[in-house]
Amino acid sequence: MGKIFDWIDSRFGVKQPHKKFLERPVPEGVNYAFCLGGASFVFFLMLVCSGLMLSIYYVPSEQEAFMSIVRLNNDVTLGAFIRSFHKWSANLLIITIILHTIRVFIYKAYRPPRELNWIAGSLTLIIALGSGFTGYLLPWDQKAYWATEVGTSMASTVPFIGKYILYLIRGGEDVTGATLIRFYSMHILYFPTIMFLLLWAHFHMIKKQGVKGGL
Amino acid sequence: MVRRDFLKSTVKIFFLLISIISVSVFSIFTYPWKFKRKELTFFHATDEEALPIKGVRQVFIKHIRGNTQINSKAFIVNSGSELFALSPVCTHLGCLVNWYRPKNRFLCPCHGGQYDMNGKVVKGPPPADLNRMPIKIEDGKVYIGLRV
Amino acid sequence: MAEKRNKEFYPDYLVEISIVIFIAVELTVVLALVYPQLIGRQIDFSTPYRPLPEWYFLWLYQAVRYFPGRWAFIGTVLLPFIAAISLIMIPYIDRGKRGRTRAILVGVSLLLAFVVLTLIPYISP
Ligand code: HEM
Ligand code: FES
Repeated sequence: MGKIFDWIDSRFGVKQPHKKFLERPVPEGVNYAFCLGGASFVFFLMLVCSGLMLSIYYVPSEQEAFMSIVRLNNDVTLGAFIRSFHKWSANLLIITIILHTIRVFIYKAYRPPRELNWIAGSLTLIIALGSGFTGYLLPWDQKAYWATEVGTSMASTVPFIGKYILYLIRGGEDVTGATLIRFYSMHILYFPTIMFLLLWAHFHMIKKQGVKGGL
Repeated sequence: MVRRDFLKSTVKIFFLLISIISVSVFSIFTYPWKFKRKELTFFHATDEEALPIKGVRQVFIKHIRGNTQINSKAFIVNSGSELFALSPVCTHLGCLVNWYRPKNRFLCPCHGGQYDMNGKVVKGPPPADLNRMPIKIEDGKVYIGLRV
Repeated sequence: MAEKRNKEFYPDYLVEISIVIFIAVELTVVLALVYPQLIGRQIDFSTPYRPLPEWYFLWLYQAVRYFPGRWAFIGTVLLPFIAAISLIMIPYIDRGKRGRTRAILVGVSLLLAFVVLTLIPYISP
């Protein structure tokens, strides 16, 4: 194991630039509340893994979506489990991100020079909520359809341009297959990619600025 | 160093232009310009003898949207003085309303909107009355206009 | 302090991280097995239905009720937008002499609004 890693590292060189990060002294006053960010990241990775598995069987079309979820649930080995796993990691991700935000707030770790990292973190939370909203439509069942009908209608209440925002979100006047594909694309391509970039920025800044210890 | 400054601003403008063009193309591409406009079409809903004498009756209209078979609902109301059809779509955020006879009201299950028999808002967040649908009666058959 | 500096990422911290990963995965597996996802009903375009959102959108679902008619956009768009902006701007709210107090005011009201509005639909559906 170690040999293979050393061989790869001697060419690829991930260890050297991260040496300071990996061997950094950890400040006083770090406790288990500081795990929340890491835990959120773990849940995000779990979402990516289970999501990639679901996308093997899921069919994002008006006619097929619901049946493909039924098939996934009943016929695919471990299908029901992976679905539940995806759902629960999404819920736990939201919980841990909120708790992580509260932790950072209490420790005043948003103060300079860490403002930009607070902003990156807040955007991650918003994107996570967006993923939850778009993912809710994918099963294309009664609850999914009506929740999206109500949720997207909210955009139409914006004065003057509401109607056009609504069309943009729905890909037409009504919640149809066009909406489903839009949401699917957001859910599995746009949001995860943006999330990866934001998290990369997040970790880059932590590496640079270190963790703020103490109250 | 005039040359250098010129090169610098050229590079800046070049990348700025690329960003502006990409964002514009993305927005123009993503907006659904040519979705199918809806047209008013009449569907057979029920027969004349089945109309309510006074009160509300719900009727179902089968039609096709895209490739999906849809069973829409409409309310036919006879208020005693007038006969009209009401759309069941709550004007607030689009849930379907129920006709609740004990209170003579349409109730929305989502955020508690309430309408009276004529479709007027009496309670809750809806901003407008229930939409009226065109209705016509020919040869004893009742047709309701739907935008599909 | 001397003892701490001797700790290295591998294996010392990696062990701690493994414990976090283990707990996270285990918790999810147990929850997924005990409370599996159910299959919903097929879409029905003619039966009134009350769609509850995910728990993390219940606050919005509740807030929307308080702004009738023309004011609907306050609950649906304006307030959530203000909430998002004030969350993002917290480092800039915490500036100057009473900065921290102001930031706490904003942070606590955001959290309280979220918790209270989420709980109302649970208590009185
Ligand atoms: C790379 C990342 C992701 C991929 C590839 C992915 C993929 C999928 C797919 C294919 C589905 C439909 C299958 C189903 O409904 O069971 C789904 C559902 C869902 N996803 Fe994701 N997802 C990802 C990340 C996320 C994230 C970050 C969240 C939330 C914070 C999330 C929340 C949901 C929710 C709530 C559902 C609906 C589950 C259900 O009702 O069954 N997903 N996802
Ligand atoms: S959708 Fe009818 S009250 Fe909100």
